[in-house]
Amino acid sequence: MENYTKYQLKAADELASVLSGVDDLFVVACNKCYKEYDTMVEPDLDAFLELAKAQGKNVTGAMRLDFLCNKTQTAKRLVDAIPEGTKNVFVVSCGLGVQTMAYVDELPTFAACDSINYPGHHGMALTKKRCDACAQCYLTTTGGICPIVDCSKSLVNGQCGGAKDGKCEVDPNKDCAWEKIQQRLEKQGRIGELTAQPVQVRDWSKVNFKVINDYVKAIRATRQEGWYGGIHPVEGKEPTEHLGLVRFPEPKTVVLPMSMHLGAPATPIVEVGDKVKVGQKIGEAAGFISAPIHSSVSGTVIAIEDRPHATRGTCLSVVIESDGLGTVHEDVKPNKPLEELSPDEIIEIVKNAGIVGMGGAGFPTYVKLKPNKPIEAVLVNACECEPMLTADHRMLLEFADDIIFGLQAEMKTVAAPKGIIVIEENKPDAIALLREKTAGLEGIEVLEVATQYPQGGEKMLIKRAMGRSVPSGGLPADVGACVSNVSTVKAIADAIRTGMPLVERVTTVTGKYIPNPGNFIVKLGTSAAELVAHCGGISAEDVTIKAGGPMMGFPQTTLDTPIMKGSNGIIAIDTDVTEPQECIKCGRCVDVCPMELKPLHFVKLAGASDWQGCKDMNIMDCMECRCCEYICSSKLPLVTMIKMGKNGVRGMK
Amino acid sequence: MRITELFDNGQFVVTAEVGPPKGIDASHVVEEAKEYLSGITAVNVTDNQSSVMRMGSLPACVMLKNAGLTPILQLTCRDRNRIALQSELLGAAALGIDNILCLTGDHTKMGDHPGAKPVFDLDSVSLLHTVCQLEKGVDLGGNELVGEAPKFAKGAVVSPCSDSVDAQLAKMERKVMAGAEYFQTQAVFDSEKFIQFMEKAKQFGKPVQLGVIIPKSAGMAKFMNKNVAGVHVPQEMIDALAADKERAKAGITGVEIAAKIIKECRPYCQGVHIMALGWEAKVPQLLELAGI
Amino acid sequence: MLITELKAKETIASQLGSKVFVIFCHGCKEIRFPEKEADDLLEELTAAGKVTGSITTDYICDPDQLKLRLEKFAAAIEGADTILVASCGVGVQTVASMFESKKVVAACDTYALPGFQGVTPLEHDCKQCGECYLNLTGGICPLTACSKSLVNGQCGGCKDGKCEVDPGMECGWERIQKRLAQIGRLDALKAPIQIRNYATDVNI
Repeated sequence: MENYTKYQLKAADELASVLSGVDDLFVVACNKCYKEYDTMVEPDLDAFLELAKAQGKNVTGAMRLDFLCNKTQTAKRLVDAIPEGTKNVFVVSCGLGVQTMAYVDELPTFAACDSINYPGHHGMALTKKRCDACAQCYLTTTGGICPIVDCSKSLVNGQCGGAKDGKCEVDPNKDCAWEKIQQRLEKQGRIGELTAQPVQVRDWSKVNFKVINDYVKAIRATRQEGWYGGIHPVEGKEPTEHLGLVRFPEPKTVVLPMSMHLGAPATPIVEVGDKVKVGQKIGEAAGFISAPIHSSVSGTVIAIEDRPHATRGTCLSVVIESDGLGTVHEDVKPNKPLEELSPDEIIEIVKNAGIVGMGGAGFPTYVKLKPNKPIEAVLVNACECEPMLTADHRMLLEFADDIIFGLQAEMKTVAAPKGIIVIEENKPDAIALLREKTAGLEGIEVLEVATQYPQGGEKMLIKRAMGRSVPSGGLPADVGACVSNVSTVKAIADAIRTGMPLVERVTTVTGKYIPNPGNFIVKLGTSAAELVAHCGGISAEDVTIKAGGPMMGFPQTTLDTPIMKGSNGIIAIDTDVTEPQECIKCGRCVDVCPMELKPLHFVKLAGASDWQGCKDMNIMDCMECRCCEYICSSKLPLVTMIKMGKNGVRGMK
Repeated sequence: MRITELFDNGQFVVTAEVGPPKGIDASHVVEEAKEYLSGITAVNVTDNQSSVMRMGSLPACVMLKNAGLTPILQLTCRDRNRIALQSELLGAAALGIDNILCLTGDHTKMGDHPGAKPVFDLDSVSLLHTVCQLEKGVDLGGNELVGEAPKFAKGAVVSPCSDSVDAQLAKMERKVMAGAEYFQTQAVFDSEKFIQFMEKAKQFGKPVQLGVIIPKSAGMAKFMNKNVAGVHVPQEMIDALAADKERAKAGITGVEIAAKIIKECRPYCQGVHIMALGWEAKVPQLLELAGI
Repeated sequence: MLITELKAKETIASQLGSKVFVIFCHGCKEIRFPEKEADDLLEELTAAGKVTGSITTDYICDPDQLKLRLEKFAAAIEGADTILVASCGVGVQTVASMFESKKVVAACDTYALPGFQGVTPLEHDCKQCGECYLNLTGGICPLTACSKSLVNGQCGGCKDGKCEVDPGMECGWERIQKRLAQIGRLDALKAPIQIRNYATDVNI
């Protein structure tokens, strides 16, 4: 691996002259980038401090930061970091760190280092290959060998007269690029192409720092709206976003795990052989954070045993053989109109209907409806930022009235004056429809937001919609928000209007290896295998199947798992064949982490079982959105390591 | 003759400038200069002015010299690196051109070859420094020159009516540090601003020639206001030019304006530099009206 | 972290053989990759029956990962006479050195990016000149903030505080002047004459 670190300390005599006449220094050092991550503590700061000390300088303080050029994070770390009495700031970094510091702080800023001059840009893997970003790629005609970077004179029309024994006149250890080009093209029988091409004249007019800066800024401004970080994976929603919801055929048997929610698993209240009906409670909530389970079919309980579960290996499940009649249980009956229901009555309905967060987390909804703080707005999370999934999108289009009703019910329950339906801009039809339907409804608005993963993360959503940050370890209610997924809101509407508890949901089956993808209304407990078979099976071997989307989904080793309250999709995609490599401190995980963490360190810290270190770097704030793993140029299993770190922290005394 | 000798003698130095042709026949440039500019001290020859490719400054200087004028070689850093610039300076000295004006040069994108590589290996300040090195018999690489060292009158430019006048003064100071012996200014239309500038610039103790353009029309004045850095024609002058188009066209108004500025500024500067922009024929008339 | 744009369709078409394997790199997509245009191109080539296979992946500048990822495409690559690569120059070079006997066609031009933008490209650039001038300029880089990369002060082209090359760009030396005045360091302008050293590169 090449070392492309960007700076080195200036020579001692130059530093001495820079230091002369200035005193009371605060020193900020960048932890370097683009080199193998072999140490958390780079030596340059100490070397500088020693030099300053030898000059008799008063150092008011020093700090090490990761990626100084990351202005957001640097500015955040610097708040109140520079002690009173500091008169000058010295920066141990490349020119970017110095410039960033000069902007975030008004004190005179000095560079303690020179950048290291590498011609061209290395890639995101630290190989010898470089690209000069010349804006007019010549590689096609030169057999993939760059004449700009590899030729000392950057000649574009052939070899100069300086090559000796195939080596460059400037450096006899360096191969002549045009010699290499010649050989490569001979090998490909393409010398003719080279000689026949027109005379090449370089165009220098494209070199303009401002253009590139403005461009990048504009892109980031439009793409990163409202909160820090995030990513834009390939959306992959085209195959299913226009396919209407289809009611999936009644399954022969359903497997209902007693844990389809966060918190304690439900306790089965039926026995093998019992006859059950649709909507009948078969599992009782086992505590405050828990939820009851209802039968999704009418039929006979044939087993109560451990069965495969999409997210936790196996789970105690009630297996029911359907009689195909769909007989609805007597307790299922419409409630009073919303106007006549009290908040407590609504909470009771939601609680008894077994409604939990259907975006995946599975937090019991009734708990959210009993906030201990005033709620200003109920947010309906209709972002569906997860790539490939379109279940929520279809819900918006086909059950808009129910969703609005459910939102109104929630607003009434928590006494929120405002309701905001938040939809990503990649669903313009849904935005238009909901705007039309909510026009004139007091307190309800539809908010269009940028398509940016994880826009639907609770904290991101609140930040974007309300401009407020949920404190570390806090809840949405702490900032006056209550957030529910589209399907959850719809389930609340059903529970109030028809009395039907949560027994079915919408799920997307899609992916490159699903021949006939679609969006389905599925009875809970339906086997994933049945759904996939209905869609034409899996069309190749060695593919990855996930319960959920490509970002947050759980890889499945078997399709023998049931659809649950949080099952928003089943996808079949390419298997990742990469192998983890050493971290090169490219900083991209820090750039995308919406929780503003520094994921790269967790790999090292968790690997060394340094739980305190993990805790100090706020590992518990991680919501496992997987942005860091997605962007990682070394393909490190960041989330796995973070989960390990979190477990370690939880186990600390 | 180096024009610095004239400044030293307290002479009010008048220069004008001409641009070499985009072609190989420079005879009309020489003829015009002979006819209208013979009476003045020296003639600047521009160096691919506005980044528009033309015949080089040095050959045109030689032609003017052969015609009996005193040329000033303008040298920009846009098209040549330090090797080519030094080599050009040695050539100039060898051909008897001993007045130079060192500039950074407009950016390549401003001219008729926007795709050209902008060099800017040196800039006006480091070029002046380099000239001083050559005068000491050493090149910028620290190598000794063979034989007699060249000797130039080293000029530089400054923009007194720039809206960044502090940055301009700072740069002027650096040019003096680097060895500039006289300055020619960007065109001035606001005497008061120039006088204020000279109040600050006189600390450097170097002669300054007032830059003058004869405004040809209200349109040209507006164009300069919009597009030319450091040039601002006040509204009343534009009005005067617009008031009588025929008079302006004949050059009468423009010459009056230019002469007025020269008269107002003369007590504060050590010379005048006229950028006639094709109206070389009006230079004698202007000088007469200005009382020079 | 480079930004790319697709070359003109005709330019690409003129370079392709009859059978093409296509590689798209999304590695630096968070900054930008011409995703839609590239997908359209692939669709057109596929419709023309030219494509033997394609992969959209990331960080093709990493030869080890790329090798693993291309394993299952061995036959498709073998059957192609040309490999079309949409990536920055590093990616194209990496692919070219992996398949030395195949013609590798660059589908993209990079945006000219003269220097390092940092791990979070935003508003500053470091030209990696190897001789940091920031101490003399109040932390504003004269190489990247000035169109001419002047190191001894403002040129005469500044108008209304804007650059002669681009009136939308603030003059770098105007900014430096203001900054130095603000932090009381105008004395930095009296530093010795600066002459750039173009021989700081670690390898040529």
